[in-house]
Amino acid sequence: MKKIVFIMMALVGALTVQAEEYAYLTFETTDGAKASVDVSSLTLTISGNTLTAGSQTFTLSNLSKMYFTNTNETTAIEEITAATLDEAADIYDLQGHKVTKEQMKCGVYIVKTKSRTYKMIVK
Amino acid sequence: MKRTLLYIIALALTIAATAQTLNVKVGNVVYQFPAAQTGEMNYADGETVTIMGKTFSLSDIDEMTVDDSNVTANLVGIAYSNGGSAVVTVAGNVAQYVTPTISGNHVIIAQTNTTAVDNDEITYQLSGTTDDGEFALDGSYKCTVSLAGVSLTNPSGPAINISNKKRIQISAMNGTANTLTDGADANESWKACLYSKGQIQLQGRGSLTVNGNTNHAIKSGDYVTVKNLTLTVKSTTGDGISCNKYFVMNSGDVTITAGDDGIQCDLEDDDDVTGETTDHEDENSGNVYIQGGTLNISTSTAGSKGVKAVGTLYINETSTTTVITVTNSGGVDASDTSDLVASACLKSDKAIDISGGTLILTNSGQGGRAINSDGTLSISGGNITAQAQGTNYGSSSGQGGFRPSGWGGSSSSSNHKYAKGVKADGNIIITGGTVNVYSKSHEGLESKGTITISGGQVYVQASDDAINAASHITVSGGYVCGYSTGNDGLDSNGNMYIKGGLVYAICSGSPEVALDANTEGGYKLYVEGGTIIAIGGIEGGSSLSQSCYSASSWNRNTWYALTVGSDIFAFKTPSSGGSGIVLSGASQPSLKSGITVNDGNSIFDGMGYTDASVSGGSTVSLSSYSGGGGFGPGGGGGFPGGWH
Repeated sequence: MKKIVFIMMALVGALTVQAEEYAYLTFETTDGAKASVDVSSLTLTISGNTLTAGSQTFTLSNLSKMYFTNTNETTAIEEITAATLDEAADIYDLQGHKVTKEQMKCGVYIVKTKSRTYKMIVK
Repeated sequence: MKRTLLYIIALALTIAATAQTLNVKVGNVVYQFPAAQTGEMNYADGETVTIMGKTFSLSDIDEMTVDDSNVTANLVGIAYSNGGSAVVTVAGNVAQYVTPTISGNHVIIAQTNTTAVDNDEITYQLSGTTDDGEFALDGSYKCTVSLAGVSLTNPSGPAINISNKKRIQISAMNGTANTLTDGADANESWKACLYSKGQIQLQGRGSLTVNGNTNHAIKSGDYVTVKNLTLTVKSTTGDGISCNKYFVMNSGDVTITAGDDGIQCDLEDDDDVTGETTDHEDENSGNVYIQGGTLNISTSTAGSKGVKAVGTLYINETSTTTVITVTNSGGVDASDTSDLVASACLKSDKAIDISGGTLILTNSGQGGRAINSDGTLSISGGNITAQAQGTNYGSSSGQGGFRPSGWGGSSSSSNHKYAKGVKADGNIIITGGTVNVYSKSHEGLESKGTITISGGQVYVQASDDAINAASHITVSGGYVCGYSTGNDGLDSNGNMYIKGGLVYAICSGSPEVALDANTEGGYKLYVEGGTIIAIGGIEGGSSLSQSCYSASSWNRNTWYALTVGSDIFAFKTPSSGGSGIVLSGASQPSLKSGITVNDGNSIFDGMGYTDASVSGGSTVSLSSYSGGGGFGPGGGGGFPGGWH
């Protein structure tokens, strides 16, 4: 009986190691920015050049890696100025279509500059 | 203590239920990565993502989800769906080694290196039902195919086709029933319903039914082993199980209905031929080892064999109880009239060695044999019943044989096959066990070499010689009964030595004798010991260094008691047989007729009792026997010369 208990405890121990729960799936882009997504019932879909994870959207070509984390590692939101927009090399809508600054209407856009990539909401 | 265990189990289940998994769906394949093991999953150029060594093209991914699915390491699940498409689930730790291709329910998997898989192997677990599907595996690494309640039919090929020339375990999960079926193809485009180029280990405590409709039911290019499994095999045209190198059955319950041989083992042509090796390592012997379990084989194809070994056929009980039942009604394969092939229940091209088990072997086919060894036959244990119930093929000897040229007439050795109970081209050596042989149309126990019996119980009843050797016969122990209804009891074409044991021999009548040595060829019968009862007399000119006695007549269907010293052997006389009776024992025997057997150990299919307790009967007067010859028609005794 002792042997059985020992085996069972060892099994539990092994399972405990394997069963570590993560709260977030964190995405890191090539510019180093991070966005953590709650993993509860999370679905990731890919459409064109875009990966959507919950409420987050990423341009595939900007993605560097993803990994599970226990903490929200989302990089602090930086204010985008008009100058930032002027520096934008490329602007994409969520369908992956490249647009110009003048074509931006209400909606969500990916703004890529030389140093960073931003998600911008135009209201 | 029980409560503690319950807590632990409940905790384990709870933990198992909260596993966290990243599922990557590509078509009908779902790769499952335990979140705890994924680490960094790297994207490259917006084209690919690599997870646990598996690189996915992003354009191929339908979706990724995170849920609480449990992932069993090393496991690839294949779930068949009748009318739909199979779904393949791949554990993350082996994802990089597995490439599935799915078309409906036809699943083809390419497997690469698995040496890094926890020093273990991949398990492919099959479940579900389909009437048009398959499981095919290519690669060069060992693996397990776990059958978890699958019913898999492939009308256009093998149900399971494994190209790996490595060891494959086919394991039926405990409590599951599994069925594999292939289609019928006149061109025999595939080798078997269940085929593996490498070794097959059939095991598990579930059940597996294999229906082979084109060729063999189960075929391995290498060895096959069976353990625990409840296996039902049906082949309409080919062998039930066909393999190379060697075959081992350790346990289980195997039933085979074969279109050709039940079990056939050949040599692997590409490897050096070996004998038996330690743990069968690198063995290429063609041997068959049946050392436990229940084996039932039925075949009805001309020339077929219940079990056929190119090497030696070993039967014993080293693993567990062995019970073998073989029925063969196939008769002679005369497709090549210059090379007739007789059917047999057990056949070896080399030798047969039986040291344990219960064997019930019945061949009802024309010219068929129950046991047929091209070499030596050794019996040291077991309980064997071997029956040749068929008529002779192509024989002119009046047993109803049929030849292609018609009934009756003369026949040469090349165009007939005699139905024999046990036949060995080499020597027959019996040191133990119980052997009961019945031969309806020809010899019962025949050796083309010598027959040596030193132990066991041997009872042979035949229409020709009951026990026949092309060379010498020696009995030095055991209990031997040769009962012929049409010829000699024991017939040696060399010398016959009776040195010990008990011999009860019955011939059909003059000119035959109960114990016949080849006097005409310069040989003789040597009575040097043992206990002898010879109904119909013994060979003339015998050397009787142990005294013999005779009675000129005996009563049919009557129980007699032969007393030698303190040993009493009771025997029943046949309904017919040669005249007169010759007896011998270590001391002067006495004989009583019409006795009643009250107790004893029954042998010789009920015709004898050793250590008998008897009552009643009347004393038979015995005369000293001079060693002259057999008894003539109508009785008499001790006449020099004999009639045979």
